[in-house]
Amino acid sequence: MSLRRFILKRILSIIPILFGVSLITFALVHLTPGDPIDQMVGVNPHVTASDEAQLRDRYGLNRPLWEQYGVWMGNVLTGDFGQVYSNGRDVSAVIMMRLPETIALGIFGWVFGLAIAIPTGIYAAVKKGQLADDASRFIALSGISIPNFWLGLMLILIGAVTLSLWPVLPPSRQPLYHPYMLWYLVLPGITIGTAAAASIMRVMRTSMAEELNKEYVTAARAKGLPEQTVILKHVLRNSLISVVTLAATLTASIVAGSVVVEVVFNWPGLGRELINAINGREINLIMAITLFTGVFIIIANLIADILYAVLDPRIRYD
Amino acid sequence: MVRNTKQSRSEIKRRRVLQGIGAAGAISIAGCLGDSDGDAPFDIQLEVNSDNDDRVQMVELIASSLEESGYFNTEIEDYEWNDYVARVMDPAYAEDGFVPCIGLSGTFNPESFCQALHHSENHGQCCNLNGINDSELDDMLDDARYGVDVVEDPDLRRERYDEIWEYLAEERYSSITHFDLDAAVMNTDVHGFSMFPFSESIFSYGLFSPQDEQVMWMDEDAHPDDTDLSDLQEGGTLRIGAAENPDSFDPPYSTDTTSTMAQVFGFEQLLTSDRDGNLYPWLAESYELVETQDIDRLAYEDYMDEVDVDEDGLPDTDEQIIIQHPEDDPADGSVRVLTPAEAADAVDDGVFGMQFRYEIREGVEFHNGEELTAEHVVATVERYENSDLSAQTFDSLLHAREVDEYTVDLYAQVPDAEAERELPGLYIHSLEQADLEGNDLDPREGNDPIGTGPYVFEEISDEQYVEYSRNENYWVTELGVEQIDWFDGPSEFPDGPVIDEIEVEIVPDNSTRSAALQSDEIDITYGLTTDDLDGYDESNDYVVRSIEAGGYEYIQYPANVEPWDDDRLRRAVNLLVPRESIVENVLNGWARPAWTDIPELAEENGTVDAAALEDRIRPYNEYDPERAEELLEEVIEDHDLD
Repeated sequence: MSLRRFILKRILSIIPILFGVSLITFALVHLTPGDPIDQMVGVNPHVTASDEAQLRDRYGLNRPLWEQYGVWMGNVLTGDFGQVYSNGRDVSAVIMMRLPETIALGIFGWVFGLAIAIPTGIYAAVKKGQLADDASRFIALSGISIPNFWLGLMLILIGAVTLSLWPVLPPSRQPLYHPYMLWYLVLPGITIGTAAAASIMRVMRTSMAEELNKEYVTAARAKGLPEQTVILKHVLRNSLISVVTLAATLTASIVAGSVVVEVVFNWPGLGRELINAINGREINLIMAITLFTGVFIIIANLIADILYAVLDPRIRYD
Repeated sequence: MVRNTKQSRSEIKRRRVLQGIGAAGAISIAGCLGDSDGDAPFDIQLEVNSDNDDRVQMVELIASSLEESGYFNTEIEDYEWNDYVARVMDPAYAEDGFVPCIGLSGTFNPESFCQALHHSENHGQCCNLNGINDSELDDMLDDARYGVDVVEDPDLRRERYDEIWEYLAEERYSSITHFDLDAAVMNTDVHGFSMFPFSESIFSYGLFSPQDEQVMWMDEDAHPDDTDLSDLQEGGTLRIGAAENPDSFDPPYSTDTTSTMAQVFGFEQLLTSDRDGNLYPWLAESYELVETQDIDRLAYEDYMDEVDVDEDGLPDTDEQIIIQHPEDDPADGSVRVLTPAEAADAVDDGVFGMQFRYEIREGVEFHNGEELTAEHVVATVERYENSDLSAQTFDSLLHAREVDEYTVDLYAQVPDAEAERELPGLYIHSLEQADLEGNDLDPREGNDPIGTGPYVFEEISDEQYVEYSRNENYWVTELGVEQIDWFDGPSEFPDGPVIDEIEVEIVPDNSTRSAALQSDEIDITYGLTTDDLDGYDESNDYVVRSIEAGGYEYIQYPANVEPWDDDRLRRAVNLLVPRESIVENVLNGWARPAWTDIPELAEENGTVDAAALEDRIRPYNEYDPERAEELLEEVIEDHDLD
């Protein structure tokens, strides 16, 4: 199988996955009790049962589920995610407004995670069994164990309130591409990247340590190559294969983590919108955000698979 | 209006409830709850929404107190908010015998602390959850508000409410546990601020309210304790930390606190109110009650149209229904209703309950340059027709009529002691925006709100901020506050708000908002946890202002279900509700136990003598296990329980 065929095959396999994602998203949202009309009406004593029925009729919420799914899916395929019930705005417009914020945060978290994880992992592998290795294990365990919201609040408390190095609230009057945003994003980036960094660090260390025991390393050293060249040029490249896959799958945890982090850091992204949507039972918005997240993760995995194939030629010939 | 539950949603620490439970019997919580051994004579299932931690803790305290008495097997069921509302609003809920707990928000109107809970017409909606159906009480509630006698004699009205409170103390269909304190926290740059009892108006009220000689200014150099009006400084920016995104800027189409808070910087009404609920002419220069007629709603019978009802038993019409014939039964397929056109006919023929006349102030300019006239008032009333607020608007209002350019009459349906306050309770629209479809009066729909108010809308970035700037042509500034005839404040009092810019930062997370206050990114905020309030209160760098607001919590007994139909059982449970402990342990003292059913803000119209009322009612509501035991033994004996 050529690389091109491999990629094509992987892309085609996305279609049934996406279909499954859409079905599960739709089912989960519709099987939970309560709908946006309940939310809109709330405990307003002045809304009558017929007003409610009228509203349900207007939004098609009284039709059979499979029919609602068909209509929704049909609309989604044409790029129409419906409206936000409470204010009549287009769901796709809301998502387009929030998506860049979340992507910026996600990329920053991801970059931060890798920037910490890879050097630390390498160092731990080289110093295997020594204090540095134990320390890195301790850090990794902490990173995985500490809940995002707590870490975020602590960073705000220390970095913003006590040291006054950062503002608590995002500089919302600046555009996203303003250089100051880079500085602001450090704290949320650390918060979001920590858990991912911890896992990557461990995998980096393990696969590095494994590679270091291989014969070609001994051969390279025997040739008299400087240790730095051996590690950074030969060993690192081979041990990165598993890290790449992991890093891509960790996109999921970064996306999920961003929900909490966006609330704590008051970041106006998709995660905060999702929380609002859930509280308001905004079915269309919940489904669209969930679907987007799903697609995002699938694409990240696809990229990982392709990179894997590029890095390790054995993969595509199976 | 039901209290917004989102406030205490996120990160309240479980801390003090442990202390609280310790006070009320830790063993029952740890051992018995939800696992009742069933040997006590009475079963009670308390219900609560799980997303409000304070409320859940309160119900836990009540349950443990009941368990401790030895007479009750208690269970607590919690539900997600939407499910909970759907559950308790279902008319059939009243037959299930559960005891729900919910919070409401009352007003200056004493009715909001008794009618909503107990009038039979509120069964199946907000908030007679357990179907209290007591015709004697219904009549008492109606007679305290409607009728020429109570309109003309406020003392008679107060006496009638006193009778209601006493009647309720005997019958005890519900137990109001406490009245909330609303608190705002600010840094020491904020000067001259005092609270208004309703959170939707705290900031607009604080910025400029001559009726209470209230004006807010910013001053970084002095501590607010050391300044008074003579130190007032012009200019500056007030940064408010708000807990939610404003969903709407359209006055008749929004009901949540944050939206109203954002609207009222720019919109005004014919009258305004001071902190105690007294009314003052505002956009109206003066007003008077022209005539009261002794009629009831049946007087409109001849003007009503017959309309078919739909499958839900509701009139099938696009017109605003002002009155539905009280004797018609939808089961017959049609009902008679009064719509705006016929209401006008009735007024033409002199059929109305009350007529109020408002002389509108000349020279009041809207943000778009229009001058306020009677036409604006009439157009505003029309925009409230069939809006989200139409039911409360036309609860009392019959018709609005332009008399001349600066005179407008508002008519009430029947003699109504609340009409004076209720009728002019509309945010006056500009003609430019009076014809907009519902929800379209919104900057996000391309229509920046236009009112007559002291601040002009500038910009919103959803989920991030809303900005206002001072109205340079504000009518009070043009007129001079001294020219307002009821104003008797000091000469230093300014002719309008002095703060130039208002920035509302939207920060839903309580901890983040609190941190933003500490890092000086906002000047003032509200809705913080009671733990945080204690910390700020002790600090010299921050000021906490609080006021007893209209919010209250109550549990309601299923009086239609045995053995709850026995008032002694209800009174006994009420005697076991640990009000003091709830306030101390759940709310850290940031509330007041409800020794009577009426809070301070409604006392003016709701009781002849609040202290005397409390003396009489308090013994019914104080924690008293011995008296409860006596009552319970009587019930057990009469009902042959073991």
